[in-house]
Amino acid sequence: MTTKKKRTPHSQNDRWVVVAADSVVETPKKDDSDPTFIRLRNPSTGNAASLYLLGSGDVQLYEVKAFNEDFHSWFIGQTVQRDGRLLYVTPMDPLFLLLPYLIKAGKEGKFQPVDQVMMDEDFPACTRLLSCIRSQASLHHVAEEKEVGSVKFQRYSQERTMEWLKKKVHRTVKILRKSNISVGEGVKSTTYVRVKQESETQEEDYLRYAHGLISEYISEDLSKALLKHLQLPELSSPKEVEPPSKKRKLTDKPLEAGEDYTKFNSSDFSRKPPKKMSAAQKTLAKVDKTGMKSMSAFFSPKGKAEKK
Amino acid sequence: MDLSEFEADNSVSCRLASAIPDVCKTEDCCLGIDEAGRGPVLGPMVYGICFCPVAKKEDLKDLKVADSKTLTEAQREDLFRKLDEAKSFVGWALQVLSPNTISTSMLQRSKYNLNALSHDAAIGLVQFALDSGVQLKEVFVDTVGPAEKYQEKLSQRFPGVEVTVRPKADSLFPIVSAASICAKVARDHSVKDWNFPEDLGEVDADYGSGYPNDPKTKAWLLKELDPVFGYPQFVRFSWSTTQTLLDSKAVTVHWDDDEEDGEKAAARQNNTSMLSYFKAGSKTSAQQSNTHQTHRFFTERRLQSLATL
Repeated sequence: MTTKKKRTPHSQNDRWVVVAADSVVETPKKDDSDPTFIRLRNPSTGNAASLYLLGSGDVQLYEVKAFNEDFHSWFIGQTVQRDGRLLYVTPMDPLFLLLPYLIKAGKEGKFQPVDQVMMDEDFPACTRLLSCIRSQASLHHVAEEKEVGSVKFQRYSQERTMEWLKKKVHRTVKILRKSNISVGEGVKSTTYVRVKQESETQEEDYLRYAHGLISEYISEDLSKALLKHLQLPELSSPKEVEPPSKKRKLTDKPLEAGEDYTKFNSSDFSRKPPKKMSAAQKTLAKVDKTGMKSMSAFFSPKGKAEKK
Repeated sequence: MDLSEFEADNSVSCRLASAIPDVCKTEDCCLGIDEAGRGPVLGPMVYGICFCPVAKKEDLKDLKVADSKTLTEAQREDLFRKLDEAKSFVGWALQVLSPNTISTSMLQRSKYNLNALSHDAAIGLVQFALDSGVQLKEVFVDTVGPAEKYQEKLSQRFPGVEVTVRPKADSLFPIVSAASICAKVARDHSVKDWNFPEDLGEVDADYGSGYPNDPKTKAWLLKELDPVFGYPQFVRFSWSTTQTLLDSKAVTVHWDDDEEDGEKAAARQNNTSMLSYFKAGSKTSAQQSNTHQTHRFFTERRLQSLATL
């Protein structure tokens, strides 16, 4: 009854369903420019670009995330929209995006004015981050500052950054607790609600979870450093743990395998789609075969039967 | 026949019944079951029961009820009127299964097929008669599917009632013929002036018999197809006639329980091939460190960063 349905390629739409903070559309009096979507270097992945939104006058930075699950579409007014995504535009601390540039410049060890640091051939729009209200004022969280005349100079500071990130983690923990988010390893469902709150034992779980969340916004190196700074031991995921070798090494000489099994590991041995069975074949396959002889049994040599 | 109760909301199943004759509550009764509108792609399927005291079986014959298929529409109307007039000893009840009920039952996640639907409608009606105080002793049914299995199912469900399931029962037993007339008349009425709950403007009412091989029905189905919604609730979506038309003419819709086979489906379900566990360890760990793993806060909530709009 079910026929194969072909997936037509996604065509670009010119409409999106967006949930945004009120502040995105509240236009400040003074201003000039409309809120704009811009692509900027993602601080955690480094090279990849992600989508952000700058509020009008570039005053506030927002990140854009999409709720995206298979088999969803929208009915909007009298139309259907194939793209079933729900975009969230949420406020973001611009310092996270400035940080990679400061770190890069910090390697030279010099104090530099921040507008010299914020240069990026690939993403020239990154200079606009500097006009966000929180940018200039919060640079001292991650950098040492010097003022010569009216010009400010900055130099990246790892210690300050760690303290700043630690605060972020602790704030996140507070929010996680308040929003009743299950952080334990055993819990996989977001809808699972804990009846009892085991506060003390969960402290580390919360810290780790919050650290993971913050790590979405910083580079991997920083994430590792932060883990140390929080005095959390690094977890090795169970996947990486190799099972203990069953063969004992008898000599120091490199062992050579007696048989080469790797040839079975080639592509033709990989998962093949199961063959389609007709309805009749399916019902046949379900038949209880206990006590039935296989067809080939009738063709085996008679020797055994005669011996009896 | 008063179908207003069904017409008030023709998206759901509805039960219509005559008053229960007093003799049926005191004397041993026989009951016939038959259905109308099993095959058509349009309109409801109607299940009907008719019952009367066993002693009055002969009176039914005098009414000259016969298999509804051998009668013209006018004759059926006439006979139904006579049956309704014989309310001193004949009672009837109908279960109108709307096309929407049929579609949603057959196409839901755990499939509920037409035979099961039919059987349950029949059982429901017999139970209704019992609950109304009818002294049932004999039940005659035209078969749906294998007669023996069906008979066994009904006998088990109603111990103490003698159940006879027979193909062509509608021409063998007058009480089944009577039930078939009730069912057929109800179906004809409901299809004739189908009340489209959808806001469709002027709908062409010339849809013929509703059977898939009727050229008028075919032409109507081709004309009324909406690329997004398909059809009004009048059409049984679970019929292959409908599905073929939808597949070829309407926009493709994907559901998460669509059957998909093989590697692609496995990937969709996030299954890992058994073989991947035997691959050299270095490869998988290298892959892991290359690809940035999004934190589970986001993956659990199906949230992802965007590169472009």
